[in-house]
Amino acid sequence: MTFQIAPLSLALDITRPMLPYWAEIVEIKNEAPGIATYWMRFQDPAVRQGYSFHPGQFNMIAVPGYGEAAISISSDSAHNDLIGHTVRATGNVTHTLARMKVGDVVGVRGPFGTYWPLEQYKGYDIIIGTGGIGLPPLRPAINHTIHNRSDYGRVVLLYGARTPADLQFVDEFKVWEEAGIETMITVDRADETWQGQVGVVPILFYRMRMDPRKSIVLTCGPEIMIRFVVYEALARRVPANHIFVSLERNMKCGLGQCGHCQIGPYFVCKDGPVFSFEQLEPYYNVEDL
Amino acid sequence: MSCDPVELRAALQSIPWFQDIAPNHFEELCGIACLRQVEAGEEIFREGDKEDFLYIVLEGRVAVDIYVPGRGRMRIFTAEPMDIVGWSSVTPVVRQRTASARVVLPGRLICLDAQKLRMVCDEDHDLGYVVMRRLANVVASRLLVTRLQLLDMFAHPTGEARHE
Amino acid sequence: MSELIPEVGTIAAFPKPVLNQLLDNLRRMGYVTLGPRIVDSAVALEAITGLDDLPRGFTSEEDGGHYRLVYTGHTRYFDITPAAQSWKQFFFPPRSTMFTYRRDNGKWQIEPNPEQAPSYALLGVRPCDLNAILIQDRVFLRPEWSDPIYRSRRQNAFIIAVDCLHPGGTCFCDSMGTGPQAATGFDLSLTELDDLFLLKVGSEAGRMVLGGLALQPASAFLIQSANKGLEDARRRMGRSLPQPENLPEFLLKNLDHPHWDKVAARCLSCTNCTQVCPTCFCWDVVDQPDLELQSSQRVRTWDSCFNPDYSYVAGGNTRPNTRSRYRQWLTHKLASWKHQFDVLGCVGCGRCITWCPAGIDLTREVAALRLESAS
Repeated sequence: MTFQIAPLSLALDITRPMLPYWAEIVEIKNEAPGIATYWMRFQDPAVRQGYSFHPGQFNMIAVPGYGEAAISISSDSAHNDLIGHTVRATGNVTHTLARMKVGDVVGVRGPFGTYWPLEQYKGYDIIIGTGGIGLPPLRPAINHTIHNRSDYGRVVLLYGARTPADLQFVDEFKVWEEAGIETMITVDRADETWQGQVGVVPILFYRMRMDPRKSIVLTCGPEIMIRFVVYEALARRVPANHIFVSLERNMKCGLGQCGHCQIGPYFVCKDGPVFSFEQLEPYYNVEDL
Repeated sequence: MSCDPVELRAALQSIPWFQDIAPNHFEELCGIACLRQVEAGEEIFREGDKEDFLYIVLEGRVAVDIYVPGRGRMRIFTAEPMDIVGWSSVTPVVRQRTASARVVLPGRLICLDAQKLRMVCDEDHDLGYVVMRRLANVVASRLLVTRLQLLDMFAHPTGEARHE
Repeated sequence: MSELIPEVGTIAAFPKPVLNQLLDNLRRMGYVTLGPRIVDSAVALEAITGLDDLPRGFTSEEDGGHYRLVYTGHTRYFDITPAAQSWKQFFFPPRSTMFTYRRDNGKWQIEPNPEQAPSYALLGVRPCDLNAILIQDRVFLRPEWSDPIYRSRRQNAFIIAVDCLHPGGTCFCDSMGTGPQAATGFDLSLTELDDLFLLKVGSEAGRMVLGGLALQPASAFLIQSANKGLEDARRRMGRSLPQPENLPEFLLKNLDHPHWDKVAARCLSCTNCTQVCPTCFCWDVVDQPDLELQSSQRVRTWDSCFNPDYSYVAGGNTRPNTRSRYRQWLTHKLASWKHQFDVLGCVGCGRCITWCPAGIDLTREVAALRLESAS
């Protein structure tokens, strides 16, 4: 059972769906050690104008000679001229990307995947629990609630990282607060110069009150963190179909075709990456699935 | 330190911990508690100190650090309003503080004399049970937090560069 | 001799040598005909020019981890059961270039791969394999996009199915509802009796290759003989998999069953089963640059869920052991596939049983899972 599948946008040729479209890197912003945001603009004006995405989706970024990687879109979905992709350098493609400069050109296909169900839950409180590299795919969701602030109740961001230096988008926290987003930040470990909270993201739930009848919980990050955020949400009686997680698996095609990204009956690229916990529940505690 | 009974009573009543205990137990605890105003930067206790008080943060924020030679003071936990600091003073495990506590945001703390608390619990087992049950919850949740910190869930992956 | 070309759906009969004329017609129309041939003591799918290329008189002896070609001297051409190769290699080649990046004055351009696949006529497609092709059609050709490599080869293909009257030691198409008779999806379908072929016309394209052939109407007796042969075949299957329609629910509820450990102890994670399986579709894609990085090909190759790198994610592997990978393969084939493609992924061809070096038999594994969970 799936929900919120967006129609394919213009950056995909349905007769040759593995062919990428060229995009120029217009800006590179270092967010945290090893993590950067690459802002790209499609070279073909028709593609540029036609392209749009929903918060939570991803693109396949191709570096000729090296390969292709699935990277979450971290920019504001209301502004499509420049598309931002935040990624940590971990493999061949992302390390090559990390060596690229403004003006370099990469291939882009997308957007792919299901997205955060914000349209469906107007009037609700949006509780976001994330950490580390999990924040980028949620950033467009935060932007969406800011653009449509009166459509939602409370919007709460619970965000953590390993150390203060690993926190991303720090310069935006104030902007978000001013737009009415409650932000609670914590780090796993710090030295005495850190004046904020120390502790892990899931326990931020103990620091806040929420109404499970009118809240949805969005979470993304290392799977171990997702697991504990989900536990806390369930403990507070948030129904399983109101908890949404974004998962990551090895992806080669983005189309639900190469087989690599499967979890149980789902293709993470096509039936996800955003799932409701209700969809995942039967498979969640199966090890090595 | 203020032991003004009216202020103290009001403060204790605002804490969920104290809200549903029997009135006579409440009175006993009032008798061994005090209020303390704290300023930012103030040190509440230091590693190695003798255990004397159990603290409940009313307002403000208290950071708990452990000093690691070569790395300095590492912040391992921050206590927010309604959190307990120094719970180990009530359990006879370690006779001295294992971490230092310092005020990050000014506010007020409730101080419970640890030795008197232990005595009162020994004399009245019903009260003792209530106190220990609450402390067990505190210890359990700290243990969970510590375990999750141990998992280092945001560690950078150690896999070597492979094909994507 | 009738010059009337039978309508779609009718059954005709012809003496066996007439098949050569059919193959001639196909060649004149530009098809390359592929069919079973004996290569290195096994049956491979290669170009066929005439009846003499077919493995007449042979049959195959199959069991878990066991395959032998046996010459029995009979007069039939299609008694052999499918061997390791399946027809998927022609529509979904083991290795193909999707496109090439080329640097032009320092700027990268993309050259789509011009698909120039020949038009293939597949001779001797068993019903199990025919169903496998129809299943792969669902995988590679979808409403929202289609794979150009598969599409160009598939739309030019001509299929001559052959009913299976002599199932093999590891066959269970009857259990899966995919045989022994070809039902749909063919251009022509043959049933081989001792002295002649029965021919069923499956499409207009099928009619078009029948010009000039000496066809007779099939008598009731012949049709009855064929049906009896099929009935016998249903009873002589080497394996069975009862009630496969219950498997999606059953398997996905038993993901932690202790039996997976037992299978894992025997499985070598060698990927043979996924290679010989006619429906397995997983693929990998890599860039293959030249040394100066002036051009790079995007090459697609078969992949397998048994490969260790298959489930690699940053910093770890989500299926780090054989147990999880075997479970993935079996539950995908017999459970998840139904959710994904509205049909089970297994056609009962038995190849995975025959070609497993450890002789692992998925019908027996399923039976063990069912038995152990009932008790």
